[in-house]
Amino acid sequence: MNEKISICPNFYTRLETTSLLVHKVIDSVKQNKIKKRNLIWFELTGCSGNIISLLDGANPDFKSLATQMVNFIYDNSLMAAEGEDAMEKLFSVIDDDYILAVEGAVSTKNNGLYNIIGRWRGQPVTAYDAIKKFGEKAAYVIAVGTCASDGGISAARPNPAQCVGIQSLLNKKVIKLPGCPCHPDWFMGTLAYIMLFGEPELDSRQRPIMLYSTLIHDICPRRKYFDSGIFASKLGEKTCMFKIGCRGPVTRVDCPVRKWNEGVNWPIEDDSPCIGCAMFGFPDKMEPFISYDTT
Amino acid sequence: MKNSEILINLINDNLNEINDIIDCLYITPNSCAKNKLLNRLRKNISNITTLVQGLEDSDSTNILQPDTTRIFTEAELSTYNGRNGNPAYVAVNGVVYDITNNAAWGGATHFGLSAGTDVTNQFASCHAGQPVLNKLKVVGKMVE
Repeated sequence: MNEKISICPNFYTRLETTSLLVHKVIDSVKQNKIKKRNLIWFELTGCSGNIISLLDGANPDFKSLATQMVNFIYDNSLMAAEGEDAMEKLFSVIDDDYILAVEGAVSTKNNGLYNIIGRWRGQPVTAYDAIKKFGEKAAYVIAVGTCASDGGISAARPNPAQCVGIQSLLNKKVIKLPGCPCHPDWFMGTLAYIMLFGEPELDSRQRPIMLYSTLIHDICPRRKYFDSGIFASKLGEKTCMFKIGCRGPVTRVDCPVRKWNEGVNWPIEDDSPCIGCAMFGFPDKMEPFISYDTT
Repeated sequence: MKNSEILINLINDNLNEINDIIDCLYITPNSCAKNKLLNRLRKNISNITTLVQGLEDSDSTNILQPDTTRIFTEAELSTYNGRNGNPAYVAVNGVVYDITNNAAWGGATHFGLSAGTDVTNQFASCHAGQPVLNKLKVVGKMVE
């Protein structure tokens, strides 16, 4: 892959897109060309993996995002306020301008009582209520991660809490950033683009084209093995893992270029097939993740 | 005789000639004769390259003119599930396609679907109007 990056300007451009956008926002805020936007981040039915992933953001990092790009109004994992104070802060911006980022699916069973995110003025606030109230009034709604985008693991069989992705509860467009978890660059780049230019160009599944346009298979460093018909028969072999169930050929996102943990590695480079975590239908429709009994 | 059979016969003729020329090369002391034989070898190799290309084109022509002489029952189709060394086939609108090496069918599965099954309805709901099937090799048709 490094060899590819060294010869293909497209890879450089992709890697620098997020960083350029975010730095441009920070500069523009400093120069009063644009205002900081309010950001609300909901953690609904999920594992909170996306907020943890966001904390891993680099160049610029999460601290730059929270202090120089946006007013981080609410996130139950990161904010200092707690209990009703936190909910007061949340509701204080409901009639103001804000961007809503949501991770996790929404539990719909029993009017959403399976997920209560807090109490406000003595009443429980369900995730279902919160997404309806704040989703409709938000300037932009961003589904961060696979659960918010399409239900994901939270909506996997048998889905006892009847979880759904947030788009099915809202009558407005939701920008989807699927991935389990969402790469920090995917979120920060999208947020920065919105602040600078408004809604980014989206594909038919409402994903930003600048991030989700390419199949993993098309830019996979092991593609030459697929083309030559050299396939791994088990994990650990450093050839194409298509025969044991790799979902790279149906998964649109730029993992091979961007990689994870500040660009250290990504699944296929570590001999694990792509399991399609950034595609609709994950995980149920991407199973089996590994299959040894093949041709 | 099918086109592909004619091409295979021609390839075999060329291979036989190559073997004869190699035998001659062993016993010919004359360097001029050796050069002539080497030129004939090059010509044979060129012929084979052209014929192989013809075979590949013939394969793609078969896609446009499906070989529907082979009839599959549901039970037969189910054995072509891409497991235990078997190729992976699926049926769409009564035609059976080979998806063994189709990239989107990793592990002989695709968005929760398995090879060896009739996926007509699922295909219609996802790929209607897309030229997906044109790229697949036809291997037969389903029993009516």
